[in-house]
Order: sequence, then structure tokens, then C-alpha cells
Amino acid sequence: MTSPVRIAQLSCGPEYSGVQSEIEEAARAVDAEVFFPDLKLSDIRSSFEAFGLDVRSSDLKLAIARAKALVEGTVEADAVFIATCFRCAEAAIVRNELRRYIHENSDLPVVSYSFTERTTSGTLLTRMEALTTIARRRTLLAREHQEGLTMGVDSGSSTTKAVVMQNDRIIGTGWVPTTEVIASADEAIQHAISEAGIQREDLNAVGTTGYGRYLVGKRIGADLIQEELTVNSKGAVYLAGAQHGPSTVIDIGGMDNKAISVSNGIPGSFTMGGICAGASGRFLEMTAKRLGVDITELGPLAMAGLSRKVPMNSYCIVFGTQSLVNALATGSSREDVAAAACHSVAEQVFEQQLQEVDIKEPVIMVGGTSLIQGLVYAMGQLLKTEMVVPPHSQFIGAVGSALLSSGYIKGR
Amino acid sequence: MAKVFIYPATSLILSDLVARFDHTPLGTALGIRERIQTPGLESPPLQITPDDPKRGLKYAAVEVPSGVRGRMAVYGPLIEDAEAAIVVHDADFAFGCMGCARTNELVKFMIRQRSIPTLDLNYPRTEGEGEEFVAAIHQFLASLGGRL
Amino acid sequence: MADYEPEYRGSVTKYVFVESPDMTPGDLAIRAYEIAGGVMIKETCFGIQVTGSESEVEDLVSRIRSFDPTHIFVKDRGFPPGDPRRCRANLGGARPGFFGHEFEMGIIRHISRGLLRLPSRDPGIEPHPPTPDHTGRLDSARLKAIIAAKEP
Repeated sequence: MTSPVRIAQLSCGPEYSGVQSEIEEAARAVDAEVFFPDLKLSDIRSSFEAFGLDVRSSDLKLAIARAKALVEGTVEADAVFIATCFRCAEAAIVRNELRRYIHENSDLPVVSYSFTERTTSGTLLTRMEALTTIARRRTLLAREHQEGLTMGVDSGSSTTKAVVMQNDRIIGTGWVPTTEVIASADEAIQHAISEAGIQREDLNAVGTTGYGRYLVGKRIGADLIQEELTVNSKGAVYLAGAQHGPSTVIDIGGMDNKAISVSNGIPGSFTMGGICAGASGRFLEMTAKRLGVDITELGPLAMAGLSRKVPMNSYCIVFGTQSLVNALATGSSREDVAAAACHSVAEQVFEQQLQEVDIKEPVIMVGGTSLIQGLVYAMGQLLKTEMVVPPHSQFIGAVGSALLSSGYIKGR
Repeated sequence: MAKVFIYPATSLILSDLVARFDHTPLGTALGIRERIQTPGLESPPLQITPDDPKRGLKYAAVEVPSGVRGRMAVYGPLIEDAEAAIVVHDADFAFGCMGCARTNELVKFMIRQRSIPTLDLNYPRTEGEGEEFVAAIHQFLASLGGRL
Repeated sequence: MADYEPEYRGSVTKYVFVESPDMTPGDLAIRAYEIAGGVMIKETCFGIQVTGSESEVEDLVSRIRSFDPTHIFVKDRGFPPGDPRRCRANLGGARPGFFGHEFEMGIIRHISRGLLRLPSRDPGIEPHPPTPDHTGRLDSARLKAIIAAKEP
């Protein structure tokens, strides 16, 4: 029995929004505990003044002083959770600055979140789990090579992916739309192992990730069940050959998006989800359907168009579709509409999420949407950098899972 | 005896002086006690549930952060019930229930809106100021009537 | 969310704090225990907490106040004593309200002084408490004059 991971909570408002117990429940579910770093009033005053961000709310002053105590090491913790009310500008400034301050001045993994009274422990679970993974599995996350014969399965919200690897080579893949979670996983696994030309029993170790990781992991007797934030960032830097130094990983998924600041293969700070469907892969699927093309054709179509010719910038999938329909009805070309849809998704992610992580090159784009050329181009334009899309980027979670699970091969 | 809303609502000094001079202090403890002693759904630590920010819609619109609305669900009814108020303005280090500046601005505004007798002052920094502070509160409370 | 069934329903809890050259929080607790008569008392950082029915608590608190009226201070508390939701041991640190107490206990000697002097104060003298500063800005004409005066 390991001792619980100690997560320091820096917050303003959860007790008054009725969600403090949800935060604690999410932590308990991953064998962690949240605590409030202890200070003296005199420390609060001096730390707040020394930090220099002159906010009015005293609970934010307290959060600043607690962050300083963590960075200076007067209070020990394994990870940091920063939470403030959604729509509070004062708190958003503090949240962002504290996240950056802790990330730059300590090794503590940190995640920030803005909650409403509707926030539940389920929403927070993957984030809390990632914090505990980083705290508990640093050695595993430091693994740079895949060894032996292993398989990773990524049970995602839209698609299920499986990858079989042998000594740093991908020898089999499977990719199916997610319908029934276990059936989809079985099918993807079947594809991967038959392509690899092996039997299920030949595998030395197996790992799962994604939304269905627990269900699938239990079903196939996985050696490693791990959330997608750490697994995907590991897979991304591995495939992109960027395991050393800083990098940024962006994964625009079917249901939520991840933006992760990575240092030497280990996530330092990250954001996940949080925006409406207009900023998701789902919107691009709808666009492709409306334009009468397969999703694989949307990227090249977009590359032939000009996004600025069509006004489209909504984070709501309904309003986004409305813009799309209007544009087509007023004679815009399919190419321009495709380009505008890609730009719109990239812009929402850029405005709503990428402000919460520090963008450091290389910026690696992964997940199924990274195959949509037009989206990668639009994101590169917004970030003013050349995006890196590694080979097999659509299998990122499965590759990360296969890589990390090789740490569980017995006798190695 | 008058019901006197105190600001900061967590103040020991104000709560003590109001009660000492035979009036009823209305502060955070009363709102929290009511929640702590009412059966319902478990929501530690303060028994402020996700329903409180919804009740707070009476005082602040939905685009106002949930923490403000949850706090207003505690303070709003107390201010509505108050017959007078004492406001200490330089309460820069009152935390927790008084830890949100936006809520505090709204609380002070609501007190003004009620047009009830209100005493505005700052915390004393010297013994001399302490003497004037206590005397002012004593005089204010005496003006509200009751036995002094 | 699980169902919540409160303990100590209908009870009242009050903090009784002391800041006195003649009485420590420990002394206060010992003297309070002597006269408690079954009312629950629990020691805390700056004094004690008293829990019972409203009338029991009011009665006990007024008797405790009489030990040292100008140095003993009383405040309502929302939680019953030792509640795990507010306990330092469970939170890993002080609850936020503690810092507010720490701040006010740092200046409470000024209040004691005010209480001590109150009976001898001439009721005809208008109090002048510290008030929020509303000092106006420097008048522009005055600023001009200052600048002009500094010019060689």
C-alpha cells in the first residue's frame, strides 16, 4: 500500500460553489489527498507583497502565498491543483500566473481548472489521475525505448486504436470507430495483432488508455492502465524524437482537447477539455459530412481554400454549423468553407486553451485530427511556428501505452 | 435590540461589541450554522451545496462566478434581515467567507441599498484610535435604541 | 452526493477568546470548566469554544465575560467544536477563518483599551474613529503653483 499522493490545493471559491467535496472525491478516487498548505498571517502578507500581483480578494492573496511556500519548499507537496471560479477575471489572472510561476520554478506537476457549481468529480478525475501518475511514475515516464513485444490500446470517445510494437518498431495497428467499448477494443486489437502476425499470448505486456481504459484494461488484463494526458504526451515526444528538453503537445480530440507543456517527456502543466463542440474534432466531422467528403479528404480540401473568405468563429457546434450552411448558401466554395472550419477550430483552441500552457517548440500535434492537414496548417499560422506531426500520430495514445507498458515486462 | 449586520461578517471584534452592547450581530456564523444544522445532501466543508449558487441568482446574475453567488446565498438573507450595519472598510485580511472582493463589493452595495443606519469606520491602529472606535460603535448602537 | 444528517442540531457554539496580561487561554479554560455545569467546553488557540442550548451558552458566556470584561471577547461559530470539516489536522493547515482571527487578535488590545476607557468618557464628546480615507487629489492650480515655485 503506497501512501496517498499529496496534492496542494490553491483555490478561491470551491467551498462557496458547493464543489469542494467533488475535488476531494476525485482525489480520493486516484489514491490522492488534497490539502491546504499551512501558513502564518505574517507569511501571507510578506509573500503576497513579494509576489507583486496586487489583487483585492484575500483568498487569492492566500493562494499566492501558498504557491510561494510550495516553490520555496517550506511546504512539501507532490503536485498542485489550482482552482478558481469560472468567469472571474481577477482569479483567472492569478490562476494563470501561479500556474506559470510553479511550472517555471519547481518540478511540481500543476493543473489549473475553472469550475462552476456544476463541476463534478468525474470531470476532474482524469486531471487528478494525471497529477498522481506524474508524482508516482516518474521513473516509468522517463522510459525512452519500447522493448519486447507489447501492445497499447487507446479507447477514445470517437475511435478505438490498438498498436503492437516490438523493440521500438510499430508492427501492427488497428483503428475502429468506438461503438460498444469492449467490442470496439476487441476489433481494434484483432486488427493489430493479425497485422503484426502474432498471437495474443505472444505479447509480453499490455497497456490501456483513453476514456474506456478501465473497462478495456480489466477485460484484457492490462499490465498498465493510465490516463491519456501522460500517455499521449509520452507517445508524442517519443514519435517526434523530442524526448529531451521542452516541447508542447496539442491533441484536438473528438470530445475534448488536451494541451500539455512537456519537459523531458514528463508533463509539467496541462489543460484538458473545457470548450464546446465547435472546438472539437466532432465539428470537423460534421463539416466533412455537410461538404459531402470523407473526413480524410477534408484536410486537402481545406489546403486549397482561403479561410478568411468565410466568417466562422464559434465555439458552439450549432452556431458553427449555421455559419457553414450560410456560407454555402451564399455561394462560398467548398474549399474556402473547409479552410474556415479548420481555422475556426484552431482559433477556439488557441484562444480558450493554449493560453493556459506555455508554448515551447517543438509544438507536436497528435491524435486523429492531426491528419487533417488544413487544421495543422491553421494552428501553425496562429502559433507562428512549424507544427510537428509525427508518423502514426493518430495512434498516439496506443503507442504511448505500448511504450510505457514495456516497463512492466517481467524479468526486465 | 436591533439586528446589526457586521462587515467583515467574520469579525470577532464587531460580533463581540454588538452583542456586548445588547444588540444581535448578524454575521457569517449564523448563515453557516443554519446550513451545518440542516439535513440534506452532504457538501463539506461548509454545507454550501451546488443549490446555493442557484439561490444566489436572486442577488447576482448567472454570468457572475459561482463563488460570488454561493456567498451571496449566505449574506443576502442576513442583509435583508438587518436593521442596521457596521462596516469596517480596511478589512484586507479577512479570508474564507470574506475572501472574495467581488462578493464584498456587492455586500457593501446591498447594505447601501437597504438605507438602514450604517456606521462606516476603519480598524484602529493605536490605543487612541481604539478608544474612539469603541466609543463610536457604542454611540451608534445606543442610537438604535434598546437598553444600554 | 450522500445524505447529510447533522449532529448537534439546535445547539449554539460560541468562541470565547482572551487577550490579557493577567489571564492566558489556559487559565480561561480552567476557570470556565469550574463554572460550566455540564455545558460543553473545548480549548482552542485563542481561548475556548462553548456549546449547548442558546440559553445555557448565553448564561455561561456572560459569567465568563465577568472574569475580565475588557479582555474577553465572544463570537458566534457556525460549526460545533472539533468538527473534522474545519479541523486543522484534517485540512493540513489552518482554515481560512483562522487568519482573520489572527489578524483581529493582533489589534484587540486597542479594543480592550477602548472598553476600559468607555465608562469614564464624557458622553458629550463626539467620537472620532478612524474612517476610510477620502482625501481629495491635489488641486491642479495648487500643483501649478508648486511647479512654478520650484522653477529657477
